[in-house]
Amino acid sequence: MLKYIFRRILMLIPVLLGVAFCVFTLLYFTPGDPARMVLGDLATDEAIKEFRDKEGLNDPFLVQFGNYIYKAVVKGDIGRSYSSKRPVMQEILTAFPYTLKLSAFAMIIAILIGIPCGIISAIKQYSWFDTITMIFAMIGLSMPVFWLGLLLILFFAVRLRWLPSSGFSTFKAMILPSVALAAQSISMVTRMTRSSMLEVIRADYIRTARAKGQKESIVIGVHALRNALIPVVTLCGLQFGQLLSGAILTESIFAVPGVGRLMVNAIMSRDYPMVQGGVLFIAITFSIVNLLVDLLYAYIDPRIKAELK
Amino acid sequence: MKKFYPVFIALILVMAFSSSSFAAKDTLVVADQYDPTTLDPIGHNDYPTSRACSHIYDTLIFLNTDGTLRPGLAESWEFLTDKDYKMVIRKGVKFHNGEELKAEDVKFSLERANTPAGSHIHTYSQDLDYVEIVDDYTVILHLKKVNYPFFSSLVHSWGNIVNKKAVEAAGDDYGMNPVGTGPFKFKEWAKGDHYTFERFDDYWGEKAKFKTLTVRSIPEPTNRTIELETGAVDIAYPVTTIELARIDENPELELQRKPLPSTTYMGFNVNKAPFNDIRVRQAIDALLDTVNIQRAVFRGVGKTPRSLIPSATKYSIDGELPAHVRDVEKAKKLFAEAGVDPSTIKLIIRSNERKERIDMATIIQAQLMEVGIQSEIMQQEWGAYLNDLQKKTHDVFLLGWGLSVPDPDYAVAGLLESNAGTNYTGYSDPKLDEMLAKGRSLPDGEERAKVYREMQLYINEQLPMVYLHNDEAIAGVRKIVKGFEVDPFEVHSFRHVYFEE
Repeated sequence: MLKYIFRRILMLIPVLLGVAFCVFTLLYFTPGDPARMVLGDLATDEAIKEFRDKEGLNDPFLVQFGNYIYKAVVKGDIGRSYSSKRPVMQEILTAFPYTLKLSAFAMIIAILIGIPCGIISAIKQYSWFDTITMIFAMIGLSMPVFWLGLLLILFFAVRLRWLPSSGFSTFKAMILPSVALAAQSISMVTRMTRSSMLEVIRADYIRTARAKGQKESIVIGVHALRNALIPVVTLCGLQFGQLLSGAILTESIFAVPGVGRLMVNAIMSRDYPMVQGGVLFIAITFSIVNLLVDLLYAYIDPRIKAELK
Repeated sequence: MKKFYPVFIALILVMAFSSSSFAAKDTLVVADQYDPTTLDPIGHNDYPTSRACSHIYDTLIFLNTDGTLRPGLAESWEFLTDKDYKMVIRKGVKFHNGEELKAEDVKFSLERANTPAGSHIHTYSQDLDYVEIVDDYTVILHLKKVNYPFFSSLVHSWGNIVNKKAVEAAGDDYGMNPVGTGPFKFKEWAKGDHYTFERFDDYWGEKAKFKTLTVRSIPEPTNRTIELETGAVDIAYPVTTIELARIDENPELELQRKPLPSTTYMGFNVNKAPFNDIRVRQAIDALLDTVNIQRAVFRGVGKTPRSLIPSATKYSIDGELPAHVRDVEKAKKLFAEAGVDPSTIKLIIRSNERKERIDMATIIQAQLMEVGIQSEIMQQEWGAYLNDLQKKTHDVFLLGWGLSVPDPDYAVAGLLESNAGTNYTGYSDPKLDEMLAKGRSLPDGEERAKVYREMQLYINEQLPMVYLHNDEAIAGVRKIVKGFEVDPFEVHSFRHVYFEE
């Protein structure tokens, strides 16, 4: 098991190098001079030149990339933000709790609503509950988050005045963004639970369980659900990873100061170290979440546990 | 059931009392568009940061909302010569760390602007040679050359006085640990969300009337309005054209508007044919119905400029000039004189992604088409746009220019002086350069007014750009908030704000 974890972490290295290289190349070819963006358009030419020299922006591409990797690996330093002058790591770590909270809330909502709805839909296939749930799941899946976000704001913040429309410092303020972000995940979790349950319910061992006179609640809750849950866990893991890295739109609409917004601002102001650091951080988070999900399988599914050994 | 009555009554009483304790409001909540970039007064040149710094720091001189100057940290001043200003510093002014303000802090603050840390604002500070300390409360500012606008620039954020010890102790992290003499001291800053400042009880001037100031950054204009409507914030700015009516119609809210010294213009690349011909520029200017373009796009906000120096700025002759009138015949005549057939002109109108600019460009495109000029609108993201403008290969472009210092020199020099970093028209004219130099070398008075009058008329004839829009500073304010006045330079102050009982 430990060997497996170690191997997986080792595999992170080429992934991160690849990500770093891609971001570096993209930024290198993005129009816009960071020196001018950071110093403002009133800055003198000497100041611009000085900045470019200091930050090594005049070096050849590969030298810049090499320097970045060298510093990051050997000194653990991924630079300071051009605009705030603070260490990139520190900036990300102040923003990350917001994103984590937002994603975690969204995920909890998705699981709490999605799994029960999926189960009921599967047991009572083609009932009115199933139909309505599937219609809502379809809507939730196709509704873009910025549109849903605005509708939620209009209804709950403007019309009813129950909830604040932006910010993320109080529990009340967290409700709307979390719901908006959760909408797609709820739909996906519901649909996945439903189809996976439908498959399992028809399996032989479920018939056997019923035939031996097992209570229906145990047939569904233990025999069926446990087996049906594996693809759902995979989906939840992937979704959570995606939520952590992809809450950019939600964060912008609801003015949540998370990693997504930090990155968007950094891109707009050509804050290279911030963008690189942010993307690397997201890549690491995503990989770690995936690793955790894989490990979680072992606890849910004894068959996989045997394989890992 | 009966035995529960006392409990109920007690509960109701508790609720009644707890809600009445809300009456004494002691926190002002404000919605701004963006977060500050730093709280170091020389580390930036943007409005949200200037605003944040203005609460923590004081400048040597203060700007009245009508554009005149009054004493700030400097009790009085005297111009010893054209380029040596003696300033007497107020005694007993305390920094937030308890230290007293001394001449050394003033010297340190102003000279620091000319180090690399101040590259954002060198344009204001570059003519300062050094600051001489006469005694603990007297300094003399020595300039490299005569530059009267420099004195007005001291009201800009760069002129904020910092505490020498605190800056040296904090090093690179000073932007998060500011120490000033202002009416509010730093409490916390949740980046991207809000910053909170607290009243400084040892403030030398009139102390703030509320205890806590929270400024939230809400980039979406609609969200700012919603938060204002629901009472979550007390003051919100800036207000966009679309939001105006909603705030205006709400009986709990009021709008505050003031003309802003900013100009949106369509610049020509004057080094590229056919725009190198003054008659072509004049023809295009005559061809465009700028007054109605402005009206259609901004729907009652702001106005069409008649001069490059905005009307709220001193020596502006904007109010005396006639309104721009569209004259297609005149345009055709000018094209003929220049020997240019307009139907052979093809040009690209560049703009960044601001919706109003794209709207204006679209109308401009249609009006140019009327004489056969074919144009294409090119929209770019801000960073890429600036980068391309620097290359000077463009035809025409839409851009804005705002003054943060109350002097007409800044309205013209940054845009049209030879080799100015933000001179994207590429205009270079010894005659105008000379006028600008003369304007800077004269003290305020009739002679200086004359220089700027001639300058404005000259630019209107040369037309390196077509003027499109003078903006307004607009804030939405809850009616219970009193004593707030929108600042014409958008550095709004809360020093005199209080809540109505």
